Amino acid sequence: MGFRQKVRHFGSRAVLLLSVIGPGIITANVDNDAGGITTYSMAGAHFGYQLLWIMPLVALALILVQEMSARLGVVTGKGLADLIRESLGVKLTTVVLGLLIVANLANTVSEFAGVAASMEIFGVSKYVSVPVAALLVWLLIVKGNYKVVERVFLAASVIYLTYVVAGFLEKPDWGAIGAATVTPTFRFESGFVTMAITIVGTTIAPWMQFYQQSSIADKGLKPSDYAFERVDVIIGSLVAILVAVFITIACATTLHRGGIRIETAGDAALALRSLAGPYAATLFAVGLLNASLFSAAILPLSTAYVVCEAFGWESGVSRTVRQAPVFFGIYTALIAVGAAVILLPIRSLVATMMASQTLNGVLLPVILIVMLRLVNDRDLLGDRFVNGRLMNALSWTVVAALIVLTAIMVGTSFLGWHG
Amino acid sequence: MPYMSELIGKTVTDLDGRPIGHLKDLLATLRKDVPHPHIVALEVKTPSGSRLVPFCDVAVLVAPAIPLTRRSSEIEAFAPPGDLLYLVRDILDQQIIDVNDARVVRVNDIELARINGHFYIANVDISTQGLLRRLGLHGIASRIAARPRHGKLGAGIISWDDVEPLAASRTLRLKVAGDKVADLHPADLAEIISDLGRAGGTRLLESLDPKTAADALEEVEPDFQASLVHAMPDRKVADVLEEMSPDEAADLLAELPEERSEGLLNLMEKEGADDVRRLLAYPEDSAGGIMTTDFIAVGAEQSAAQIIAALRRAAGESETGFSLFVTDPEGRLQGAFTLKELVLALPDARAADFMDHDAVSVKLLDDQDKVAQLVSKYNLNAVPVVDDEGRLQGIVTADDALDKIIPTAWKKRLPRLYH
Repeated sequence: MGFRQKVRHFGSRAVLLLSVIGPGIITANVDNDAGGITTYSMAGAHFGYQLLWIMPLVALALILVQEMSARLGVVTGKGLADLIRESLGVKLTTVVLGLLIVANLANTVSEFAGVAASMEIFGVSKYVSVPVAALLVWLLIVKGNYKVVERVFLAASVIYLTYVVAGFLEKPDWGAIGAATVTPTFRFESGFVTMAITIVGTTIAPWMQFYQQSSIADKGLKPSDYAFERVDVIIGSLVAILVAVFITIACATTLHRGGIRIETAGDAALALRSLAGPYAATLFAVGLLNASLFSAAILPLSTAYVVCEAFGWESGVSRTVRQAPVFFGIYTALIAVGAAVILLPIRSLVATMMASQTLNGVLLPVILIVMLRLVNDRDLLGDRFVNGRLMNALSWTVVAALIVLTAIMVGTSFLGWHG
Repeated sequence: MPYMSELIGKTVTDLDGRPIGHLKDLLATLRKDVPHPHIVALEVKTPSGSRLVPFCDVAVLVAPAIPLTRRSSEIEAFAPPGDLLYLVRDILDQQIIDVNDARVVRVNDIELARINGHFYIANVDISTQGLLRRLGLHGIASRIAARPRHGKLGAGIISWDDVEPLAASRTLRLKVAGDKVADLHPADLAEIISDLGRAGGTRLLESLDPKTAADALEEVEPDFQASLVHAMPDRKVADVLEEMSPDEAADLLAELPEERSEGLLNLMEKEGADDVRRLLAYPEDSAGGIMTTDFIAVGAEQSAAQIIAALRRAAGESETGFSLFVTDPEGRLQGAFTLKELVLALPDARAADFMDHDAVSVKLLDDQDKVAQLVSKYNLNAVPVVDDEGRLQGIVTADDALDKIIPTAWKKRLPRLYH
């Protein structure tokens, strides 16, 4: 055995795990974006601990969905959009990707809302911060080194772990939290249902399945890596949910108790008061800005990439605009329109962010049904990796629950059952 | 000439004009002696399942409804004679290789040609018009086609002669790729393999002859190389490894699990395997780790004419003939000369007369940075690597030395998703 192999053999299991780890954890980190932070803060501030019980269920659903996307990616070596096009035809592909573009545009809008909100804490007008951020993001991807950028953002997203600390420092009533987590509370009012859907929508966003599966396909992961990749997905999902839970707890303990409703980003920053004191707003703003820029860079890029792959158009930032007009067109349009919407006279940035996350929640069942068709395709995955009965039962339960929630939301809005 | 998009879904009627089902797919022969596959059967979707109808029973293919010349009960079931191409399943919506432009494209539509009553695949359509036709938007498609700027005939239409449907299907597997693909530049092939992803790339690689596969594989990034050979049979991988230069083969083997790489080494011819084993023994970032054992050494007493004659016989095998080295009978390095010095020397001049007696060399365990510095300082094509007794063990070519310092065009280091 040669030296190089000896080195590799040493602790090779750990090394192997590390080399596979990535797609799941990175995707889950981007998941805690501007929309996510805002949603969890609002859920805590407006409804206290009442919505905590859905978090374990959301975690389960998130792992379920991301595991299926990881399995599809590992076994077929293809992105989700590719599989939809090749197995389910061009019409369904057009519908699904059309919906994805709409949802991702809404998400991009919410990321720029996050930029505007965080910079307003520093007293910078959105008419300055948003155009600058849009230009910066565009240049970063087209001219810069994406891999380095990704690492910087990823490292900075550790800021959100401060919520875990803040959650503890606020000395919340752990008994009440425990009880709220296991006791389902439900209120038939549109605000409550919308919040529930929004939490699901922001945590299990449709872009995540496309993004994660493309990353897996691109890393060239193979069926023998599946066990490690599943660990990656589960760790990533659990960390994402843990941060979400603590944001909710921190906001519930400080804001809900004090009867403060979140109208601006500054209100949400108050949750960090006990940890950072007068610097709470600064800490919150930096974290929100980082999350917003990170996602504002990734969402338009992955959308353009996925659409071009499925339709066979040239794609990639190393090509010129003339070589890949559609790719750069979609990428630029998403950033430009996303930023422009924020510059319209909008009363509440927070409400804008929430609206885009609700759209995600409504679109999710469509993507899930398509994924379930693929993941049950024996020709595609083979006997070993095709969905089992338990997985199917769980997945269809998630889809059914989402459809029921969406129906209730639409119903309550129409009937005007406002709380 | 009919397009597939216009045929699929049409009603198929029997002799009495009774509808028996809808056209689902067309089956074409796939024989090496026929350049364009011709249609031999129809797959018709009937209420009682799919059935295959021989093409000789079809009265008219291009008609508002497709009439057959027999009654439904009289149609003899079509027995597929082996290698058949299902146009919808295997070609439409799948990725194919456009050999002329050395790129991977996705098929939006297929154009058929009618010659002497037989239908052949004429062209594949990758254009946006083809996509719109598939979506049922014929009006917009023809309007675009009518616009002078896009009306250029042939834009987005590729002749069947110029495509390779190799990666098209999960069931269809050609044993040998066409010469068209094998004639591509290895760097172009490597890009196509990367674009196809792990599964398609492996299939393409497997269909190439070992020499072509080795050349292409050397151009692929090392971590992706390992994914590609993962699913390939050992015998084939060993053949490819033998064709690769020893340093590239060692790099690839070091990426594989120890048992697999040991097994592969045992399958290789002894001479090649020994070279690779020696290289595997050195740390990855040392001169020994990046050197190749593929070099030319001559004796000091040989004349220029003899050396040139020897080169003519042997150099076809070697890829590093610009720098030549002089060793004594024990293999100790005595000097070096370039191809230019050799050519300019008089035919009967001895190597000792025109060689550089103070040839720069490095030790096996010297750092790769030192090698790169020497290359840059002395403008070398290659640096000889010697062991502690001064025996020539291998050489590091200039491009390999610099590769390790300046990552191969940093764009390549981007996650593959974004290039």
